[in-house]
Amino acid sequence: MLIVDVLIAVFVLTGALLMVTSALAMFRAKDALSRINVFSPATGLGMPLVLLGCYIYTLQHEGFSVYRLLIAIVGFLSFIIVSSIASNTLSRSTVLAGSPVHRYTRPNRLVEPLRLADDGDETPATPETDPQG
Amino acid sequence: MIDPLRLLGYFLWIFKEIVSGTLSMTTALFTPRGYSRPMIVQVPLRCTTDLEITMFASSITITPGTLVVAIAAGDEADDPPTLFVHVLFADSEADALDGLYDMETRLLTAMRRRPPKPVADAILRGAQGTQEGETA
Repeated sequence: MLIVDVLIAVFVLTGALLMVTSALAMFRAKDALSRINVFSPATGLGMPLVLLGCYIYTLQHEGFSVYRLLIAIVGFLSFIIVSSIASNTLSRSTVLAGSPVHRYTRPNRLVEPLRLADDGDETPATPETDPQG
Repeated sequence: MIDPLRLLGYFLWIFKEIVSGTLSMTTALFTPRGYSRPMIVQVPLRCTTDLEITMFASSITITPGTLVVAIAAGDEADDPPTLFVHVLFADSEADALDGLYDMETRLLTAMRRRPPKPVADAILRGAQGTQEGETA
């Protein structure tokens, strides 16, 4: 009983702490892309941990049911998938909107594409739209 | 085609990467100028199908510290599909590319039941060459 309580507390508090960490990191990051980047511990690890803690709490108080387990699994997978795809969409729209990147972003391959070592005059693939344009 | 056991192992490995990425992000929070060395690297892919590319892009984004910012479609002949990845905690461009290609190798081994071709040497040397040129 006590061990389960501690386990629940550890999961939920760790998840909450990760959200705080990400929020502080977002204040310290320098540009829009870095802010989206440092956000992923909260969505990729923090939210699933909170959900796990909540599920164990429900399990302890209301007993096992297949329906709740199903809901928990769907929620868990959704957090992982949605957070990754949403971050992709956010970063993509940030770049396309022409938001400036931090001046210490080096190298920035969107501006100067990678030159392959062997054939110097062949330029490799460029993104389908010019983010600076 | 898909090797379920290896794919499961890949997901466990991704989880490990998420945890270690979270740790480096937390340490950077208490380091002066911890977030001051971002870079956007270009990753020509060995993935070919839409599923492989989507899974690789999602895996990159879910890992703290790396984020896909743009995808360039490849043409069938020369240019492979290419990802542009925003990397926060890497020492150099070659270092960042090493980590990303390691992840790609693991994913493709799980998806195709056999390891993919090694990364073209020209790409790695191209990254290294420009870096040295920039610092000099």
